[in-house]
Amino acid sequence: MWIEIAHFSTLIALMLAGLMLIAPWIGLRWQRMVWIRVARQAAFMICALLTLASAGLIASFLKHDFSVQYVAEHASLKLPVFYLATAMWGGHEGSLLLWAWMLSLFVAIAAWKHWNTHPVSMPWVLSINGGLLLGFLLLVVFLSSPFERLLSPPPDGRDLNPLLQDPGMVFHPPFLYMGYVGFAIPYAFAMAALITSQGDSEWILATRRWTLFSWAMLTIGIVFGAYWAYYELGWGGYWAWDPVENASFMPWLTGLAFLHSVMVQERRRMFKTWNLFLIITTFALSLLGTFLVRSGVLSSVHAFATDPGRGVYILMFMSALLLFSFGLLTAKSDQLRETPKLESPWSKEFSFLINNLFLVAGACTVLLGTLYPLAVETLSTAKVSVGAPYYNKVFIPIMLGMLALMGLGPLIPWQRASLAKLRQEFLPAGIIGLIGMLVAPLVGVTHPSGAIATGLILFVGATHLKDLLRNIKTRMSRESLSAPGAFLRLVTRNKRRYGGMLVHLGTLVMVAGFVGSGLFQEERDLFLAKGDSMRIGSWSLTLESMDKTARRNWQADEAVIRAERPGEATLMLRPQKRVYSEHSQPTTEAAIHSSWREDLYVVLGDGVKDGVWAFRIYRTPLVSWIWIGSGIMVVGVFWAMLQGRRLQRRAD
Amino acid sequence: MKPLANKRLFLILTVLVVGGSLAALVFSSFTGALVYFHTPAEAVAKQRELDGKKIRVGGMVQAGSLVREAGTLKIRFLVTDGKAQIPVRYDGMVPDLFREGQGVVVEGTWKSGQDFSADTILAKHSEDYVPVEMSEQGIAKSKESLMKSLK
Repeated sequence: MWIEIAHFSTLIALMLAGLMLIAPWIGLRWQRMVWIRVARQAAFMICALLTLASAGLIASFLKHDFSVQYVAEHASLKLPVFYLATAMWGGHEGSLLLWAWMLSLFVAIAAWKHWNTHPVSMPWVLSINGGLLLGFLLLVVFLSSPFERLLSPPPDGRDLNPLLQDPGMVFHPPFLYMGYVGFAIPYAFAMAALITSQGDSEWILATRRWTLFSWAMLTIGIVFGAYWAYYELGWGGYWAWDPVENASFMPWLTGLAFLHSVMVQERRRMFKTWNLFLIITTFALSLLGTFLVRSGVLSSVHAFATDPGRGVYILMFMSALLLFSFGLLTAKSDQLRETPKLESPWSKEFSFLINNLFLVAGACTVLLGTLYPLAVETLSTAKVSVGAPYYNKVFIPIMLGMLALMGLGPLIPWQRASLAKLRQEFLPAGIIGLIGMLVAPLVGVTHPSGAIATGLILFVGATHLKDLLRNIKTRMSRESLSAPGAFLRLVTRNKRRYGGMLVHLGTLVMVAGFVGSGLFQEERDLFLAKGDSMRIGSWSLTLESMDKTARRNWQADEAVIRAERPGEATLMLRPQKRVYSEHSQPTTEAAIHSSWREDLYVVLGDGVKDGVWAFRIYRTPLVSWIWIGSGIMVVGVFWAMLQGRRLQRRAD
Repeated sequence: MKPLANKRLFLILTVLVVGGSLAALVFSSFTGALVYFHTPAEAVAKQRELDGKKIRVGGMVQAGSLVREAGTLKIRFLVTDGKAQIPVRYDGMVPDLFREGQGVVVEGTWKSGQDFSADTILAKHSEDYVPVEMSEQGIAKSKESLMKSLK
């Protein structure tokens, strides 16, 4: 019953999406406002219908309706209720519905919020989003439907993949999709601005919060995924440059480039074409990410052979979008005259330009590495994979270059700076950074990239601090405030700037985490019998006992390990090997002790002979800094979102 | 003050140098990072040219071929695609999905006259995974196993 309701709602939503695509055209062509209002109502209706559709699919899961193929494939009677509800996005059919539902939600919010403020753009924004929804719903209804029934329903389903039965994996897709989908709104506004040939910077101001929000969501989604990979997959790492990870990383990079380069357009009316290019690219990569991961094409191009229709449709959808967007950009390029010119390499806009070069080069790197194997496999019979060393080799220099630029950011002025003044500005921070670089090897940071990164982190910290202190001083003298009062006044008056600074601070924390975990991880493979001990770092670990433990839908072998470190309380670590009742494959549950200094990470392997078990133990310095840093970044973005338009006065 | 033309040139040059060095970095790292995938039959046929190169071989772990060296993590097994078999050596912890009769991908080097020495064993597939045999047969098989598991 529920599934029919869901199916039917989706069908009606599909028709309304078609209406939403066409109605604004009719309205503008024959000057009938009512048609544009119809499109707006359609946006609200689609949102309501897709909410119902998603609820219907979730209800089918909760009722264990195994006559629905999608439910039978991703759930079972034993699956805990929390995972039953979230199994809706455990496979690609449901994920696509989730995507469409989120898009409809965002479009409804945009239609409600921007209706009065952007009357000229709005019809086109609605129409373009109608087209996007139509494209997605066609896919959901005709090519990868989660509403299919089975003729002979099985008594029990195949269960959700045990690896997905984990909170990290439950939250990862929705956040990621919120990020992907969020970029649709700035994209639609950008296209609307091109079509209506007006307000060449208005679209940026209107969608600033959307962009920030989307990028923050994307960050949360990616970090959730990395965190899940870290504690669930039991390999001691968090990022493998897997195509699935890369797919979400590319829009993140171009989105980040966009966030920076729009500032140049806001302040100096430059980079107009470039910003349009970036938002199109970011949204296109968001779509590509969804399709790459959710079409199965990554496991093998031949997965398409099982369902060529879907592959062809996705290719057509992408091509149509790119042709429309870039075609429009080319056709209207004559209106995007840049009046101001880059005046000097010693200016903020030029450092933003180089920052964008780095980020786009990074995105190209990932794109090449991700698509090249697909191309090879399509065009020849060979299969090839691109290893992590390639990405690491390229990304370490890119990351270091970005850090150096980040240090310049707050102190370098717009337009033009005198070299003498720059020298005076950067000399102290530069010296601090250099000293850090030279001292780093003495305190154990022996790797050259690690030492350079340490120096740069200090350099960036110093420039940001200098900027902050100077502004606090200015406020103190000008408004006769105490130092904390001045600081508060500062960060609340100019939320954009200080939100951005907080994001930078989070980035520094994160980079420290990358350096510590990437260059200084220690790994040991060994056997332990009951009572055996081993040492790693300053820890000594002893295998106390081996137990059996069970929950509703799994049972496990569990090792109990006593971990001791001088001057600290003793810990008990309990790594498991679980076997889920619906699956024959065992899954590893690592035992992790996190602290700000390092993580201790213990994985239980197989029994090698009676009473002797294999263990793999990692000691990973600073890995928790990555999660903390990402949290700081997200808070910074939200802080920056609180302020709307730039105040039209001298920024301090 | 330099004349403006010079300045523009300097700006453009900077962008070109930075962009160019990034592109060079990408492409120089790229060619060395490619690892080709072969079926056991292909690897046996091309053994001479693959000698000592890093490759991936994918197939099934032949049932009954897995041997553990007592008291160590060293294992030996055969990877087969039904046409040819390759003896593989590996030392370390195996992934959860690694089992006899299951699909596996091993990455490492194969020196002629020796076992394939694997540095990594990848087994990232669901249990109804069937190694892709570049053919309709492989797809039919995976569909079949899917239907089987539904019944």
